[in-house]
Amino acid sequence: MTNNGLKDEIKNLIMEALNIDDVNPEDVGDDDSLFGEGNVLGLDSIDALEIVMALQEKYGVRIDDKNQSRFILKSISTIAEFIEKNRTK
Amino acid sequence: MTFQHKMAAHCESGTVTALLNHAGLSISEPLVFGISAGIFFGYFESKKFPFPTFVVRNRPGQIRTGVAKRIGVNFKEQRFRSTEKGEHALDSLLAAGNPVACQTDFFYMNYLPNHVRVHINVHFITVVEKRGGVYVVSDCYSPTLAELDRDSLVKARFAGGSFSPRGFIFYPVSIPGSIDYRKAIWSGIRSAAFNMVKLPIPFIGVKGIRLFAKKVVDWPKLARDVDHLSHEIMKINIFLEDQGTGGAGFRFMYATFLREASELLNDPDLLEMSKRIMEIGDRWREISLFAARIGKRRDLGSDRLGELGAMINARADDEELFFRDLLKLGKSKK
Repeated sequence: MTNNGLKDEIKNLIMEALNIDDVNPEDVGDDDSLFGEGNVLGLDSIDALEIVMALQEKYGVRIDDKNQSRFILKSISTIAEFIEKNRTK
Repeated sequence: MTFQHKMAAHCESGTVTALLNHAGLSISEPLVFGISAGIFFGYFESKKFPFPTFVVRNRPGQIRTGVAKRIGVNFKEQRFRSTEKGEHALDSLLAAGNPVACQTDFFYMNYLPNHVRVHINVHFITVVEKRGGVYVVSDCYSPTLAELDRDSLVKARFAGGSFSPRGFIFYPVSIPGSIDYRKAIWSGIRSAAFNMVKLPIPFIGVKGIRLFAKKVVDWPKLARDVDHLSHEIMKINIFLEDQGTGGAGFRFMYATFLREASELLNDPDLLEMSKRIMEIGDRWREISLFAARIGKRRDLGSDRLGELGAMINARADDEELFFRDLLKLGKSKK
């Protein structure tokens, strides 16, 4: 899969895991910040845990703790980079 | 020697590891955690606490004392009645080029974002040096070395309340030339497994997990209102995932310890046990998420809390089996 294909797949996975139906995946920029003020999805720390578990189920990657997740879940691009390096599925 | 700052999952294990690394001993945070028998469970209800609470690791300070005892490191430890003496002792050590670990109130670590800072008296940092009136601090939760002003550090070291630090500092003064890792690792494993399945105390170890499962169903009777209950239920997620646990209430860090121990001792049995506790960690994480979800939605009826209790009880079953097997393995490797 191309990197862009993977990014689209991750966007769809997040939308599905969090039941977000009022934002189009195309409206989320690859480098947009996913958390904190002004993020288009309005995510919080519980959403982060939902995303961590969805990524583990789909790609077989484990993100242990917040120290790791706050860097990995910065944006769609950082998640894609992590998945490419570590996926087991 | 320049102090190498590294982030770590947990402040106490991270600080002990950083000081040992600086002193020339190459050891990882999970090994420090596992050798010290850091993995634990305790469920506490007391008039001293405003609400029942639980812990997933041993008492603050026991990571240092446990690892010191088992690998033979000698730490110099000091507490102070006087702020001036405490400050002077720290400054003298720094002037001599010694990084020093300090117990602090987390709230005063003003280089971290405001929303994460709460009053907790058992946050450990390494103070690396003093430049003018400012301390250079290595905090496991900060991506880089940070600066902390003198007044904040004094307030943090001499904060009042439970577990008050009283200026507590420590640093290694001797490291053994050779370490019997086999002995240290198995001793740490036996101690942790004993605490989890053999201690005859109804609120500790697996018995504590079962008590938690039983009592959580009754938490509505103890809460002021639904907002309070929701807050307490969501704290289950925070205690398991957010407070420097390395994820899933330290279960992931313990799995990493067993994997690293397996490599160090060339013991495939430990790798199998690592995989098992990693899977148990995944199931604890499901509890974190479930608690966070029902708390956020205020979906806290007796059926939901019953589900939560059943999930917790299933972890007690898993951990009872796991730690009994681990203890058996530990005894066979003596």
